[in-house]
Amino acid sequence: MSLAGWEVPIGAAIAFAGGAIATGWAQSRIGAAGAGAITERPEVAGSIIILEAIPETLVILGFVVASMIILMVK
Amino acid sequence: MRSCRVNEMDWGYINARMRGMKSRLLNKRALDTLVLQPDLASLIAELEKTPYRDEIIEAKVRYSGVLCVEYALRKNFTRTFQKILKFVREPEAERYIRIFLHRWDVQNIKTILRGKNIHIPAEEIQDCLVPAGELDEATLTELVRQPDVRAVIDLLATWQVVYARPLTESYPTFAKSGDLSLLECALNEFYYADALEQVKPLSYNNGLIRNILALEIDVVNLRTVLRMIRDQVAPGEAKKFLISGGKEFDQEGLDHLITLHSIEEVVEELKTTPYRFLADIPPPAMRTQKISVIEKQLEKFLVQKGVGAFTGDPLSVASVIGYFWAKYNEITNIRIISRCKTADFTVEQLKEELIYV
Repeated sequence: MSLAGWEVPIGAAIAFAGGAIATGWAQSRIGAAGAGAITERPEVAGSIIILEAIPETLVILGFVVASMIILMVK
Repeated sequence: MRSCRVNEMDWGYINARMRGMKSRLLNKRALDTLVLQPDLASLIAELEKTPYRDEIIEAKVRYSGVLCVEYALRKNFTRTFQKILKFVREPEAERYIRIFLHRWDVQNIKTILRGKNIHIPAEEIQDCLVPAGELDEATLTELVRQPDVRAVIDLLATWQVVYARPLTESYPTFAKSGDLSLLECALNEFYYADALEQVKPLSYNNGLIRNILALEIDVVNLRTVLRMIRDQVAPGEAKKFLISGGKEFDQEGLDHLITLHSIEEVVEELKTTPYRFLADIPPPAMRTQKISVIEKQLEKFLVQKGVGAFTGDPLSVASVIGYFWAKYNEITNIRIISRCKTADFTVEQLKEELIYV
């Protein structure tokens, strides 16, 4: 089956956008709760920053998948 | 959809703050340290090492002894709930929190009416108020300045405060009988009816609030039933003081309870309800018609249910309900400790009086 040419960038975009949207949503929720926790107990700031960074893995995964689509799908 | 997401985010923030605030409440160990203090002076010194420090320092300037502790506790309670109202910006959350804070308005109005009814000096009434609700300190001060019960009700009506309506309606009966409990009961009835009306639509949050309010109504009604039976009040008369909207007891159930002849019979009747734990109370307490023991158990049950709300959905009003009850219980416990220290209770006796949750 031959590809028309536009499927690859569209596929990569969907993979990256999915990860980015999910990360944004997760970080917004963690950020709101984290802000509340830091206001009451500033000593937990370190843990909150780590928790806030965890959803970044989703967008990194999306980026990796998008790169693989561009590089490997011919 | 958009507003729904905003709500969820706000609940996350509110829940985190509530849990942070709860972590600063005194745990069993901290309460035991307070219990072990030999006298009131050392209790006050120990309280200075807790989150009550600022309020205790402020209170020491004006009062000493048990009054100092009482003042600090009132200040702390008021500040805590004013702080919660300040950071809650979401209208739905604010409405739920106000339902809980309104009870302090009711409590303050009752205190003022009681004071005015027995002609207590304005300063003494002012010292007993907890301005944690919507009626702020300036409003309450103005109410306290009024010469009598009628004037207090009139001023509330002039300001269009909602509580003026039940009071105005019940005032003629009160004027005839001089029984202040009629006004107090009208206030209670209005508060619970209004609160239940606000949470009528079906939703998870409304359900939580409705449950805890209905539970409270049951406990208030049970207390009334027990008191009426102890004081041998005629069932027809006693009915006037019962509040509708309870969870376990409907009007028919309450009417039946009120016709029973002794406290033992009421406890026996409650064996098929969630209040079956009352049957474990030692028989001597029942025989002497000492209902304070039963009231203590009911209070404990209510506090445990209230604090238990913390296990509910974190993205709901559950944590606010849980915190409200946990804070209320902490303040009650410290108040008990300070009172018992002035009455020279032993450590064991004092521990029995506390409610640990």
